[in-house]
Amino acid sequence: MLERRRYLVVFLVILLSLVLAASGCGTAKPAATNQGGSSTAAAKVVNIGYSGPLSGGAALYGQDTLNGLKMGVEEINHGGGITVAGQKYTLNLIALDDQYLPNMTATNARRLRTENKAPVIFTPHSGGVFAMQQFNQEEGFLIGAYTSEPKILETGNKLTYRIPPPYDGYPEPFSKAVMEKYGKRVALVPGTHQYAKDWTKVFVPVWEKLGGTVTGDFAVDYNKETDFYTYVSKALATKPDVLFVGGASKPTAMVVKQARELGFKGGFILMDQAKLEQMAQTVPMDQLNGAVGVRPVIQFDNPGAKKFVEAYKKFKNGEDPAWEQAWHYTAIKVVAKGMEKAGTVEDAAKIFEGMKQIFPLNANDWVAEIKGISAKGGMLGEAHGIMVIDGKYGPDMPITLKD
Amino acid sequence: MDLFAQQLVNGLTLGSIYCLVALGLTLIYGIMEVPNFAHGHLYMVGAYVTFFAMTLYGLNYWLSALLAGVVLAVLGVLMERIVFHPLRHAPASNKFIAAVGAMMFLEALARVLWGSDFRSIPVIYDKVFTIGTLRITEQRLIVIIAAIFLMIALNLFLKKTIIGSSIEAMAQNRDGASLVGINVNNVAMLTFAIASILAAGAAALAGPIFLVFPSMGALIIMKAFVIIVIGGMGSIPGAVLGGYVLGITEAMGASYISTDYKDVVAFLVLILILTIKPTGIFAKGVR
Amino acid sequence: MAGQKKWFKGSTLLVVLFLLAALALPQFVSRYYIQVIAMSFIFAIAVYGLNLMEGYLGLLSLAQAGFFGIGAYMSGLLTLKIHVSFWLALPITALLTAVLAVLIGFISFRTRGHYFVILTLCIGVIINLVIEKWESLTGGVRGLIGIPKPSPLGPLTFNTLESQYYLVLAFLILTVFVMQRVVNSLVGRTFVSIRNSEELAATLGINVMANKLLAFAIAAFFTGMAGALYAGFIRFIGPDVSNPNLTFEFLLYLLIGGQATIAGPIVGTLVASGLTEGLQFFQEYRMVIFGALLMIMVKFFPWGIVGFSKMLWSKYQKHFMKKASEGTATMSTAKGGEI
Repeated sequence: MLERRRYLVVFLVILLSLVLAASGCGTAKPAATNQGGSSTAAAKVVNIGYSGPLSGGAALYGQDTLNGLKMGVEEINHGGGITVAGQKYTLNLIALDDQYLPNMTATNARRLRTENKAPVIFTPHSGGVFAMQQFNQEEGFLIGAYTSEPKILETGNKLTYRIPPPYDGYPEPFSKAVMEKYGKRVALVPGTHQYAKDWTKVFVPVWEKLGGTVTGDFAVDYNKETDFYTYVSKALATKPDVLFVGGASKPTAMVVKQARELGFKGGFILMDQAKLEQMAQTVPMDQLNGAVGVRPVIQFDNPGAKKFVEAYKKFKNGEDPAWEQAWHYTAIKVVAKGMEKAGTVEDAAKIFEGMKQIFPLNANDWVAEIKGISAKGGMLGEAHGIMVIDGKYGPDMPITLKD
Repeated sequence: MDLFAQQLVNGLTLGSIYCLVALGLTLIYGIMEVPNFAHGHLYMVGAYVTFFAMTLYGLNYWLSALLAGVVLAVLGVLMERIVFHPLRHAPASNKFIAAVGAMMFLEALARVLWGSDFRSIPVIYDKVFTIGTLRITEQRLIVIIAAIFLMIALNLFLKKTIIGSSIEAMAQNRDGASLVGINVNNVAMLTFAIASILAAGAAALAGPIFLVFPSMGALIIMKAFVIIVIGGMGSIPGAVLGGYVLGITEAMGASYISTDYKDVVAFLVLILILTIKPTGIFAKGVR
Repeated sequence: MAGQKKWFKGSTLLVVLFLLAALALPQFVSRYYIQVIAMSFIFAIAVYGLNLMEGYLGLLSLAQAGFFGIGAYMSGLLTLKIHVSFWLALPITALLTAVLAVLIGFISFRTRGHYFVILTLCIGVIINLVIEKWESLTGGVRGLIGIPKPSPLGPLTFNTLESQYYLVLAFLILTVFVMQRVVNSLVGRTFVSIRNSEELAATLGINVMANKLLAFAIAAFFTGMAGALYAGFIRFIGPDVSNPNLTFEFLLYLLIGGQATIAGPIVGTLVASGLTEGLQFFQEYRMVIFGALLMIMVKFFPWGIVGFSKMLWSKYQKHFMKKASEGTATMSTAKGGEI
């Protein structure tokens, strides 16, 4: 009999928790962006969703990506919002935390779609993209996918918009530049995360095709290993001319620094995930000599980039933006333009179609030149590399991207 | 051969840090029977205190390390009082759960207060010594020497002072210790303070050569647990030996066996040890 | 006895009401709530496994996320790579996870207390590492993409979120039913006697090892099943599903709800998920709150919400009974506070 009584408690507590959940969700108003200064009373609001790691180990990355969106939304709203089919709209960004976990991204996406009617939901990780791809076409929202993972577009999902440029254009020009200067032997010391593995897989054949040799693979978990000395020592024992490294900027900088301490004099090839300008905060520039990587946004002098960097510094108290911010800023503007072109803020398929039709753009207004959006849904941008020579950034290295 | 010598030195550096953290953990376990899962997070806080003392207040490196020791000692005592003391009679799993809670709390708090960025403590001693092909930076040399110094100091304290020997007495026999008039409460707090100071020392030493970030504690705590399980929970010589062995094995393992499965192997060895000798190699008596 | 008779009727009504509420839920709330609650149900099933170990047997196993991950991957691989029907993959997965648990049990039950906790944690870490490193099988860090939806069962299809919700609910009810039968049986009481004193249980002629293995197997069975449900529901899995942190979350759910109670896991999971969603906009502070909550719960409410409510209820009942019928007041409170 006693067990029966438990059901009363079960029931009451379930009820309680549901009420709690409901009231929690109902009352907590998104603390995201403001509605824009110049929004008139007549302007309607369209919600833009974001689900990314805003707490936990990857929070910094999540915040960086979110900041790009935030700034883009703020700018659009300050400029009077968007005009869609004669109606004024302001954008409202709603950011939810998913701790990098796909199941939480799925929950967040349901929430953003059903509670907030968001037609576009951004996420900066491939796991989240895969989880949302299970139902985004059915629910009718566009995924703004910030990941270079090629598989997200191979699934044939019609509502996936890949933001960053694919990484397979970098290895060749990077390899040529360091090989010419330092030599043909490369040791691999990349991270063990998926992105590093994919990069390595693209990089090695390119290096070998150019006549180089790989002395060994010494991949190390950039986020879990406390000290890289043992790996770097082992890599250097193979007498390489060049080290292939890459992961988050700071750990990558540690690898570079420790390689120098251990007497390495050669060059570095940096995966695009590592940002030279962020690494330079930890390692002196002269230790970065011979490092080739993606050219920092702050190094660009085209009007669009300059304007963006200046605006971002104002937006974030002097902080320098990196490509994460720049691409998200660009992406939200592309979405806004797409909405205007498509004449709807609701139909995700039409919005995506609209986004594909806004090209060509006036290059002066944009951070980087964007050529269009491919049939599969990837944004076709441009990329630039740069090499550190004598403690300074060398000349620009334009990169042709394959689609 | 060159590589062997280099890896030996690398392993010693790693091992020194491991020893200091594991020593604190084993001391707490020996006295309190608490597997303090949050100990690694004390190490993390220690690193942040050192970092901020140097960068924000411009304190000298050694003074910053000292400050970290003081702050951590207080934090350790607080943790004992607030988290573990009320649970002293609770079942083993409750203490474990409280420790997990403390761990989550400290890490999340660190993220809220200081952000998730990787930070690096400025390096003052950055000269590189070269002996043949062997290379070691000044800071790493300091790590190795200072760790030994701290361990000797701990040993002298435990053996030569009255308060210190009360800790040893309690570790060996809790009931006996209280019978002969040792204040169990004070000893518990003292133990937490000492363990936290060791963690602060480890953090201040390691800070300039590693990166400082909120989950750095979670990484080292697993290793410290491996060490004290192998060395015998509560055993001081076991923790010291285990620390160096793990450090050197890691360095050698990285160079002579596959890197992919090295962690799996480490944990399998641990399971093997626990299965064959469930109380560890250097276990103190029968539990 | 009149009081108990009345109770029987009242609680039956409440069970029916709860079931009706659960069944009718999709009609009244948005898909977001369905998603959240279905997710909680899946986790709750896994928490029932932990509850059996920690609550009834008194052994804290930190390998639970490992079993969850194995369940997810096994079912994911079976349905994705060799196109086994979900309805075949699910029992196979649950059974194999249980078998694996027995094998692990032979090793881990040689240890006790903290050593057992640490050993199971190590096992959890190993499972996590193997899933991450065994790329040719598990897809490594990238994981398994495009796991099929649960295949139709006769006329029932599981293409919509609502139907998947009912599927998960059905398995939750099954789990609760089995768990209740187990803990109220002789076996369940044997577990509790082992929790109370292993030595005493052994002297009474109880085969401690066999009982521990049985509990571990049942726990792993349901945890593996939950993993399989997860794989079919989210349809994408990465090594994170076996991360030891997930075990800590299970532990949090269990403690909030109340260990060694039948209602605890579901209550705890729903409340914690509700809190997680409700506190979405506090983001970074959530883990600060949860960490503190864990410490507070274990100190002040070691038996969780359910245990605490029971205690309150029995006090209330005592009070009420005294007033209502002076004579028979003593009987009904007999075991009110017992867990």
